[in-house]
Amino acid sequence: MLLATLLCYVGFSALCLSMNRHSEDLTGRSFSVSRAKALRLLGWAALLASLWVALASQTLGQALVQWSAALMGSAVVLVFVMSYWPRLALSLAGVGVLLCPVFAFLQLLA
Amino acid sequence: MKEGFRQAMAWLHTWAGLTFGWLLFAIFMTGTLSYFKNEITQWTQPEIVPHEISAADGVNRAQQWLGENAPDAKRWFIRLPDERSPELGVSWTPAKGRFEERSLDSLTGVPVQVRQSMGGEFFYRFHFQLQMPYPWGRWLASLAAMVMFVALISGIITHKKIFKEFFTFRPRKGQRTWLDGHNAVAVLVLPFHLMITYSSLVIFMTMIMPLSILTTYGKNTQGVFDDLFPAFKTEQAAADRAPLASIAPMFEVAAEKWPGSRVGLITVNNPGSANASVTMTRHGADHIPHEPGTALVFDGVSAELKNESNMGAASLMLAGGLYGLHMGHFAGPLLRWLYFLAGIGGTAMIGTGLVIWLGKRRLKHAKSGVLPFELRLVEMLNVASMSGLMLAVVSFFWANRLLPVSFTGRSDWEVKTFFCVWGVALLHAFARVFLRDGRSAWREQLTLAALLYCALPILDMATAGGYLLASLKQGNLTLVALDMTALATGIFLAWGALRFRGDGKIVLASKLTPAVQEAR
Repeated sequence: MLLATLLCYVGFSALCLSMNRHSEDLTGRSFSVSRAKALRLLGWAALLASLWVALASQTLGQALVQWSAALMGSAVVLVFVMSYWPRLALSLAGVGVLLCPVFAFLQLLA
Repeated sequence: MKEGFRQAMAWLHTWAGLTFGWLLFAIFMTGTLSYFKNEITQWTQPEIVPHEISAADGVNRAQQWLGENAPDAKRWFIRLPDERSPELGVSWTPAKGRFEERSLDSLTGVPVQVRQSMGGEFFYRFHFQLQMPYPWGRWLASLAAMVMFVALISGIITHKKIFKEFFTFRPRKGQRTWLDGHNAVAVLVLPFHLMITYSSLVIFMTMIMPLSILTTYGKNTQGVFDDLFPAFKTEQAAADRAPLASIAPMFEVAAEKWPGSRVGLITVNNPGSANASVTMTRHGADHIPHEPGTALVFDGVSAELKNESNMGAASLMLAGGLYGLHMGHFAGPLLRWLYFLAGIGGTAMIGTGLVIWLGKRRLKHAKSGVLPFELRLVEMLNVASMSGLMLAVVSFFWANRLLPVSFTGRSDWEVKTFFCVWGVALLHAFARVFLRDGRSAWREQLTLAALLYCALPILDMATAGGYLLASLKQGNLTLVALDMTALATGIFLAWGALRFRGDGKIVLASKLTPAVQEAR
């Protein structure tokens, strides 16, 4: 479930960065239209992937419940951290991207 | 036309939210506490200590005790200890007289000398019965749930930029921040809000929407429950007596029928008579849907499996699924905490909504600094329903530790303390808001609440330190977790109290101006 949560957080961060008002707050610059589009795609893909990961690791009912919790929890964490410590929010997303393959590997082994 | 519709929805959201906000705040707050119902009961009855025992040993002890002490009862109920509740609970309906219950020590099978307290059950009952006589409290709670559902839907329609402002929260900007917070906590946790509100209506559906039952069953409404839950049909005791078979071996059959699931409640009908029966339900922690009708019925004399009922129908699964999601019995520690936090989110959504209602209208009177009567009334109710309730909740815990352990009616006195403190908080809010200003009401109540919450761990150590130490030695973190949660709540409330320092007029003006400008 950790992997699904990380993917949720990464996905929401990407969606957030794809919006002009937030990318300026977080990175100090706004992305080009194509970059923003790519980020939006990446964001939705990560959210979908997290659902897939959750479904693959649990029974259907538990997967849906835990995935909903991960979805809500990661969004709340992102918005809270971003409002007070924008840099930390970005670094968390970066760490998330780096950790995803590790956890994916671990889940494959399990 | 579209703007007109949205405005109508905004109106609906505003007034539905205001009129039921205070009640809903209390319902959400106590409902949130109910996710730790068993843990709260552990804290309020620390005399009951968990032991590692097998289900068979537990049920043997319970059966033996009931056989000796309630042989002529109509029904026995046995609840085995589990990871959230250390109690081996036995209760019974005597042939004559009132329902009785005891907590047995799971190791010795002897009743524990335990202080009387409703514990978590009080908050749980309050959140849907509102301490009113049956069925009025349930009706009022259901009405509030319906209004909550209306407020949620109208709120979604009113919120114009649900995706554009999905990630938006602008701190330290007065009224703007309150609105952002209200929106953020509503939108980010929306699936929970919708689930919890809709499922609460589903839970009471047979009460709220009885027509389909009435047309089929007429006056015999019990019939629908007999059909839904055949395992729980009551039978008259036979005149012949026969010894009750041992319950423990029936567990093996249950384990076969429900792989990976434990047995929950065990009911024995007409123990000691020739037609005795034993009914077992599945433990709620082992599956998500609430399935009160899924049961195994054994012959009480021959111990053979007589009957097996399942709640397999799709509509029952759907209703049971929503019921189960609402109660969260299946949730492990992490998910349970998330449930708790989401509940706080819902409570905060209602609270911020109430604050925003008043804040918007107060702007008009910012210059004169004098609030008209109706706004003062709202402010008084805001204070009493939020900080007053926080005070009432913590006073329940204080009463539990301060009232003498062996004094009859102490359980009632805990409840009385809760409502007395809440009433006094209302009077205090009245006096402060109408004779002085709302800020002093908030400041004083929040300060007192902060002190009481922060001091709860100290009180616990002083009055029940032995239990706390023993539980820690056993590696049971429940008691200390409740103390720490109280401490964290106290710190949060102290932070809240600090926001109301000074007379606030200057702060008010400077904080509100940017919001006013932005609004134009």
